[in-house]
Amino acid sequence: MTYQEEKLIFNQQTQCIITAHDGEIKETDANIFSWKTGTSIYDAHPFFEIIKGFLETFEEDEDTYNFPCIHLEEGKLEKICDVTIKIKVDEVVILLFDYSSKYHELNKIAQQKNESVLKAKELELKNQYLIDKEKFKNSFIANINHEIRTPLTSILGFVEVLEKTNLNFEQEELARIIKRQSLHLNSLIEDMVDISKIESGKIKIVDERFLFVNLIEGFEETYSKLAESKGIEFETYIDPNIQEYLIGDRTRVFQIINNILNNAFKFTEEGKVSLSVTKNFQRTNKLSISFKIEDTGLGIHKEDLENIFDRFTRFNRDKQISGTGLGLAIVKNLVDLLDGEIKVTSEPDKGTTFDVKLPFKFEITKAKPEKKKKKYSLPESKKKFRVLVVEDEEATQFLIMKVLISHGSFFVDVAMNGEQAISYMERRNYDLVLMDLQLSTIDGYQATHMIRKNYGDTVISEVPIIGFTAKATEAERDKCLRSGMDDFIAKPFEQEDLIHKIVKQIAKKAAS
Amino acid sequence: MKLSKKVVLLGHFGVGKTSLFRRFIDNEFSEDYKVTLGVQIKKKVVEMPDGRELSMIIWDTEGHTDIEDTRKSYLLGSNAFIYVFDLTRIDTYKNLSEDLDYLTKNHPKVIIKVIGNKLDLVNEKETLKNLEELNVKADCLTSAKTNKNVQDFFSELATEITA
Repeated sequence: MTYQEEKLIFNQQTQCIITAHDGEIKETDANIFSWKTGTSIYDAHPFFEIIKGFLETFEEDEDTYNFPCIHLEEGKLEKICDVTIKIKVDEVVILLFDYSSKYHELNKIAQQKNESVLKAKELELKNQYLIDKEKFKNSFIANINHEIRTPLTSILGFVEVLEKTNLNFEQEELARIIKRQSLHLNSLIEDMVDISKIESGKIKIVDERFLFVNLIEGFEETYSKLAESKGIEFETYIDPNIQEYLIGDRTRVFQIINNILNNAFKFTEEGKVSLSVTKNFQRTNKLSISFKIEDTGLGIHKEDLENIFDRFTRFNRDKQISGTGLGLAIVKNLVDLLDGEIKVTSEPDKGTTFDVKLPFKFEITKAKPEKKKKKYSLPESKKKFRVLVVEDEEATQFLIMKVLISHGSFFVDVAMNGEQAISYMERRNYDLVLMDLQLSTIDGYQATHMIRKNYGDTVISEVPIIGFTAKATEAERDKCLRSGMDDFIAKPFEQEDLIHKIVKQIAKKAAS
Repeated sequence: MKLSKKVVLLGHFGVGKTSLFRRFIDNEFSEDYKVTLGVQIKKKVVEMPDGRELSMIIWDTEGHTDIEDTRKSYLLGSNAFIYVFDLTRIDTYKNLSEDLDYLTKNHPKVIIKVIGNKLDLVNEKETLKNLEELNVKADCLTSAKTNKNVQDFFSELATEITA
């Protein structure tokens, strides 16, 4: 009878093997594996080598060892068996129980269970990796923003100073180019910071009541000049049914429309750009406004339209038109944040139309006139006021000194850090302190805190302090005010704005 | 007579015990995760520096989150335990110290080695720093995928268990 025939007749799921202590197989029913008598069990499978160890410790009678779920192979035959080994005085009995099908079933369950745990862990790791990457990106952008804005402040400031000197035509033109390029660089940084803030959910929608027509008139004013210089037309239309005052995030609405208009002008060399503002619908105190921006510019190919709102997407590269490819990504994100809608249609060489629908609210009661920005003036026009500038950047020190001294109403002292500022203030009375925030030893916040807390009711503790920094964020502004500062100015600053803030604080202090 | 030593791979599931086993025995690696049920056993004959041959009988056991769940019969007659953990999963080494105590207490004569595997997925310097902070001492960091440190580890182990 052949081995295969034997297997069909006898129990196919158990096998009994008897060996001598030296491993030689004395008897086997060969039901599962066909290891031959006379051969060594130790050569049959490495598992059986364990018997050698048992024999070393064997003392008397009989020892029994049970091994569940052992993978055994003979050539291509693979079985998962429970194995019992009985060590006797003159022989070793090996019993194999083939539970392959049972174990394979269990294997499927274990595979699913373990895989789901490992998958969850993998997702957790990937998620953590993305969070870390996002954090790194945001901190990188914040830092690079700071590093670029600081020298940019000096460049813009000094160009303004330079423009006020006696320049010939060529020099004036060169100064104008430097200024234009610096402002462009500044707007690129702002785009980068904006996209980073949007993606990290840090942009807050701040609703305010504002004169809607002013917003549109602002576009009219800015872009009419641009249209004139490019030799194209710019048309605007405002639906007269739109309320005079609306409630919404004016800054973000401005940013959206300005970005689209800016693009329209960039890509239109002839014909016209138009901005049409109409009311879609109104319910109780809510309304939806449609801003349609049409141009007769280069247009966009159909296949490119799908990706138009993706980051770093730029078309018409051959036209050498500058940009980061972030503008429309910012627009789309802001429209989404405001719960609005944006649609774009375009035809190459004919033009593009953007249709933005944004929700607003309005007050049902009669609108109050908008508060005008109060104009401040220095308390005594002939007196000179002493300002302490706390700044460690030499170029910025020089710029501020130039601006303040040219104004003619200020004496300026400069301290390199918070510690030096406090020691100056102990020796001299100042009308105002301009405090940089990132300083060595004691930073701007700490120095302000110490000035406010450590000097009781003395003059020192009441000096108006304006913080200034390259981190132009709302969080930074709040931090300044919380630390005891009276105001905040972001770099790069307009000289007029700096003077306005200084005058305002000195005037307020004098009035108190 | 050929020397023969039993080495058991232990540790949580999915840490790469089977990958190390396959890398050492057959110099193969697969990205597919296949759960090990029970134990699979293979032999590799290695030549010792003194010219002798050693049969390393490697027992690749199924993973358990609790070392006490490992079938006790699998550990019988062992010469070395290799405790493998996954460098990307803290769960697989947070109880390392207790697990090693358990093994030492129950098998005082057995050599125990600790391997941190999946080195290819982490930054080595940062990982070493993290392990030090957590007071986790690994004898070797390996990557079964890239074969980094695998062969050297087993060669050193072979020398140690026959010393």
